[in-house]
Amino acid sequence: MTTVLDLAALATTAFGLVAAAVVLASARRLVPALAVLLDFLTAAGLLRLAGDPDWSTIAAAAAVIAVRKLVTAGLRASQPG
Amino acid sequence: MDTTAELLPESALREAVDLLVRLVEAAGALIIFVGAVWAFGRFLLTMVRGAGPDRRFNRIRLTLGRFLALGLEFQLAGDVLRTAVAPSFTEIGQLAAIAAIRTALNFFLSREIAAERAEIERERRKETDGSRAPAEPV
Repeated sequence: MTTVLDLAALATTAFGLVAAAVVLASARRLVPALAVLLDFLTAAGLLRLAGDPDWSTIAAAAAVIAVRKLVTAGLRASQPG
Repeated sequence: MDTTAELLPESALREAVDLLVRLVEAAGALIIFVGAVWAFGRFLLTMVRGAGPDRRFNRIRLTLGRFLALGLEFQLAGDVLRTAVAPSFTEIGQLAAIAAIRTALNFFLSREIAAERAEIERERRKETDGSRAPAEPV
């Protein structure tokens, strides 16, 4: 099951990269593209947490989620209006 | 005491809980992955149909967030089940760390979903008011 989950997480990361590129090309703005990428990366982190994770996997998932929260908060704060 | 041990040995309980945990966690992971695939397809469709307003992207993100929250609920259910059998302190510690991460993320996701939904509603109301209002004289 762990291999399947790893593959699913990898696929989700790839989806996120492509989707962020699509949003960047369509909207021509960095902020929505970054938000989309972070959403997909969170999904990938959650998939990695399923199964039997060791401490390093847990720490990596926590770091990704913390970074995501920081960046999202930063983006919200820097948006005008 | 012996009768109880014979009726429900600890190893059988552990195996049963382990199977349930795997099933529930697999369901959660499947929901998250399906959400990611769905959102990916929608982003591609949006691009093929031509660049729309940001609101369309926000709607897709909102639905992806809902999938993530639902998957997280399943995974949290798996964590709760796992507390029924936790043999060592290392496993209990890992379980606590994972449950804390999932609970915190679920909390933040719910707040983000509520904020996005309010923003979409506000924009929709603004558009409706704009289309109803008479044209201003130049």
